Amino acid sequence: MKFQIEDVTVYFPYDHIYPEQYAYMVELKRALDARGHCLLEMPTGTGKTIALLSLITSYTLSKPNNPVKLIYCTRTVHEMEKTLAELKLLHAYQTTHIGDRARILAVGLSSRKNLCVNSRVLAAENRDSVDASCRRLTASWVRAAAAANPNLPTCEFFEEYEKAGSNAVLPPGVYTLQDLRAYGKEKGWCPYFLARHMVQFANVVVYSYQYLLDPKVAGYISKEMQKESVVVFDEAHNIDNVCIEALSVSVRRQTLEGARRNLSKMRQEIEKFKATDAGRLRAEYNRLVEGLAQRGNLPFTDNWLSNPALPDDILKEAVPGNIRRAEHFLHVLRRLVQYLEGRLETDNVEKEGPVGFVASINTHAGIDQKTLKFCYDRLHSLMLTLEITDTDEFLHIQTICDFATLVGTYTRGFSIIIEPFDERMPHIPDPVLQLSCHDASLAIKPVFDRFQSVVITSGTLSPIDLYPRLLNFHPVVSRSFTMSLTRDCICPMVLTRGSDQLPVSTKFDMRSDLGVVRNYGRLLLEMASVVPDGIVCFFVSYSYMDGIVNSWNENGILKEIMQHKLVFIETQDVVETTLALDNYRKACDCGRGAIFFSVARGKVAEGIDFDRHYGRLVIMFGVPFQYTLSKILLARLEYLRDTFQIKEGDFLTFDALRQAAQCVGRVIRSKADYGMMIFADKRYSRHDKRSKLPGWILSHLRDAHLNLSTDMALHIAREFLRKMAQPYDKAGGSGRKTLLSQEDVEKMSDGILNEMQY
Amino acid sequence: MNNGNGRRLNGETEEDDDDEGSEGDLDAWERTYADERSWESLQEDESGLLRPVDNKTLYHAQYRRRIRSLSSQATTSRIQKGLIRYLYIVVDLSRAAAEMDYRPSRMAVVAKHVEAFIREFFDQNPLSQLGLVTIKDGIAHCLTDLGGSPESHVKALMGKLECSGESSLQNALDLVHGYLNQIPSYGHREVLILYSALSTCDPGDILETIQKCKKSKMRCSVIGLSAEIFICKHLCQETGGSYSVAMDESHFKELILEHAPPPPAIAEFAIANLIKMGFPQRAAESSIAICSCHKEAKVGGGYTCPRCKARVCELPTECRICGLTLISSPHLARSYHHLFPIVPFDEVSSSVLNDPHNRLPRSCFGCQQSLPNPGNKPSLRVACPKCKQHFCLDCDIYIHESLHNCPGCESFRHSKTPIATEE
Repeated sequence: MKFQIEDVTVYFPYDHIYPEQYAYMVELKRALDARGHCLLEMPTGTGKTIALLSLITSYTLSKPNNPVKLIYCTRTVHEMEKTLAELKLLHAYQTTHIGDRARILAVGLSSRKNLCVNSRVLAAENRDSVDASCRRLTASWVRAAAAANPNLPTCEFFEEYEKAGSNAVLPPGVYTLQDLRAYGKEKGWCPYFLARHMVQFANVVVYSYQYLLDPKVAGYISKEMQKESVVVFDEAHNIDNVCIEALSVSVRRQTLEGARRNLSKMRQEIEKFKATDAGRLRAEYNRLVEGLAQRGNLPFTDNWLSNPALPDDILKEAVPGNIRRAEHFLHVLRRLVQYLEGRLETDNVEKEGPVGFVASINTHAGIDQKTLKFCYDRLHSLMLTLEITDTDEFLHIQTICDFATLVGTYTRGFSIIIEPFDERMPHIPDPVLQLSCHDASLAIKPVFDRFQSVVITSGTLSPIDLYPRLLNFHPVVSRSFTMSLTRDCICPMVLTRGSDQLPVSTKFDMRSDLGVVRNYGRLLLEMASVVPDGIVCFFVSYSYMDGIVNSWNENGILKEIMQHKLVFIETQDVVETTLALDNYRKACDCGRGAIFFSVARGKVAEGIDFDRHYGRLVIMFGVPFQYTLSKILLARLEYLRDTFQIKEGDFLTFDALRQAAQCVGRVIRSKADYGMMIFADKRYSRHDKRSKLPGWILSHLRDAHLNLSTDMALHIAREFLRKMAQPYDKAGGSGRKTLLSQEDVEKMSDGILNEMQY
Repeated sequence: MNNGNGRRLNGETEEDDDDEGSEGDLDAWERTYADERSWESLQEDESGLLRPVDNKTLYHAQYRRRIRSLSSQATTSRIQKGLIRYLYIVVDLSRAAAEMDYRPSRMAVVAKHVEAFIREFFDQNPLSQLGLVTIKDGIAHCLTDLGGSPESHVKALMGKLECSGESSLQNALDLVHGYLNQIPSYGHREVLILYSALSTCDPGDILETIQKCKKSKMRCSVIGLSAEIFICKHLCQETGGSYSVAMDESHFKELILEHAPPPPAIAEFAIANLIKMGFPQRAAESSIAICSCHKEAKVGGGYTCPRCKARVCELPTECRICGLTLISSPHLARSYHHLFPIVPFDEVSSSVLNDPHNRLPRSCFGCQQSLPNPGNKPSLRVACPKCKQHFCLDCDIYIHESLHNCPGCESFRHSKTPIATEE
């Protein structure tokens, strides 16, 4: 359908549109008009992606004078493919309506592992080794050597691509990763390099967060992006954590040992070069004297990861004299590694700011701040000079240099924490030195500064006013939308008491109470007997889950539960968990029924959907607060309080409730679906906790469901499941309009819009 | 004073707590009355006496809605109906059937309505046969073989009402599949599963069994008693049956009775073919013979197979000796109306009623009782769209539900010639 939003004609590929999608588009359009950033919360299953895509592409179409580029960031490859598939549909619709004018080029970009078509390279098992084996075939010196000696292997796809030169372009269209691979195979061109090349010219680019946020990758993939771009972060409820992780480094003993090995290997290489090709080292030296900025002249396959979080002036500065020579640089690194080893040999937990740490390096190892700052780039340059292609083996020394550069660059927002052992296992020495970033705004700042509009959107962004403070930006629009439903298909409940009317909670002083454990067990048992198919349970941590499952096993509750449903457990091992999930799905499919025990903040809570019969009920046992004794968390809380005036309690509650909402949001993925959510902890009934849940859950949380005991919850569950099993009319009755046709949209007044927002 | 107040407050908050919980979910006994609110439907008449409000119009409206929805499905595309049905009713008697959310228990409620269903089924489908299967302890038992006598089925079911163990959908389907596979191809194979449990414990891959059922054209329908289960939904979707979940007892009754009228014929079977049937004569009252079904000597009653002269007790059935289908002609006639249902009658609109130029009949064509005075109460009469005769609401229901013939059209047909000459 086709309709007008103010001065933009929107092409929407479906015949009907949800009212919230329309409202979402209106807000988004205003943000684009204002050329500002925005925060939009809309529940999953309401077609966020297609609303975003169709508005932004239509916006570009109706303003041909200043075309906007769309950069769409997703968290996983799966989501990337889904987004591109929707875009394809939209594109087909637009071209049938306005013909060639709607032609766009949209590409997805992922790592070599997902795009490579060379079977020899793909044989490698993980991402880093795929990268390395690609480099082994495509690095400029390898190709130069192969030109002289035809027996050396090269990648035929890359050679073809190089041969085609500037003719190697993608015709307009929408390319999913699979399409790219197919196209690459057909033409004999390397899809990865083709996609990377086309990213600069494409109208729509879909890739992962890291390409924009991780300074190691971003600078060189996203360097060429124009300012008139709209950047969308989808599923961005954890964006602050992504930003922080991108700038955090942890160093363990193994890292240091590996780094030492790397250093000696490099030393040998240098010796070899000195004997055979001393000119090369001298050439590098001269280049470094002229300044790092000239790195751009290197052939682009050799191009590596650079650091855009560095201020520009550093890049123009020349590398300090004491590390220009390769041997000297190795000496510096050796001293640094030695110093770090010394620091790890501590028995106490130590916490330090970057300034103090740099000063201490300076006195003990004689490396000043400026030298540290250049470590990463210097290493990069050296590895190129030494023609090292198996970069995956040199990860350790890269980590060290990454660490050094970050420590040298930032004086605020970081702290260095050295822990001699894990808190939970004090007898096993496992020293770790962590450089942890506390300020999420550091990594995302270049993105906000550079691009015209940044859209942050997710199903759960509540409380929406906290994100601008965490990320330190000023949104022009920040809105939360509800879901318009033909029936009340979600049923959230707060369970505060067990069947014996005693309160239940995972509060520290109550969690080991046998009564609470038993009450939780009875709750699950009773629920298993009335809820069909799949139930998902989330616990606050692995250790708590282990404990409670153990005691359920001892007092026989687990056995009783197993009479109703099979039980599967998430473990820290990915393969095991995947297997458990597969079998869980199978048990739900064949009608046996199953329960999945999982952990909030775990892999399952983040990425796996439990829609339809795979999750008719989700129980959140307790409030998933972070481990509050963790040194890193404490340091971050302190920083947040001092810098952004965010109270510790506020942040902790926000973070816990965001996780809880994320967990329970797994059960409902579309409007036709239905599911129940039980928050089993008395603390959820308090207003300060509850009010931080997203609006679309709160609007279904009736007052009568705020303070339930097990038997009452059971009764509600029975009624709800019966009601939901009745056939229903998808378009909605006369009273509630949930699907709008073209005429509806045309005559839609602002009145309906205002209803949608709150 | 202060003290007392405080205590009061305390007491109140506690009470509030309780109220909060029970609000919205009334106890079962409360709900029955709260829903009906029979006291509100009382009215005072002129002399101050109480009298119940006439709900008839309301009921009639509901009934009409149903008829219309049925006929809209049926008349638009002349659907062939499967009149010869072979239906197995699978009753789940696993542990879950003992639950008390239906009073006195799910099992008792199911049994009660299965009994009603069996009678209704034979009333509507005289040519069909029915059998009972129960699931208990994970195993399916065949309670009664396919047969045409409602009494024997009901008796067998009532004698076996106890429940235990798990439930297994696959075992039940396998068992029923084994029986129904032998049915001749003109018969419609159907399974109606009344499922209390929320899971199924199967020995093998149930999805394969479902495919097997699909292949042998078994139409499987499920009525759940507690919640929607994926595998049941899948089964119904695959085999073309209907899946429903009962809200309460009356809803359950409604759902189960929906399965009484014959379903549309499956396309592959819709090709017309001839079926050999016998119309046995009722034996003389005094004759003594050994019946082939119970293997007892009986005096009088019973029928004699026209082909092999064996004695059977009840119709319809299949002759034990020669395998001929034995029915009586009224059975055949009673099945007929499913193929040619009476069109729903139109409501006479109030504008027509109030039009003084129209002379409307004063009395119902069916029962000859005078129709209510038009004016204050609109549309209390209906008219047949073919013969234009007017009927009262009671006759409307009677004609559509039981009679299956419109008296107006019938008499019109008889007096067709005279009317034609008049005009």
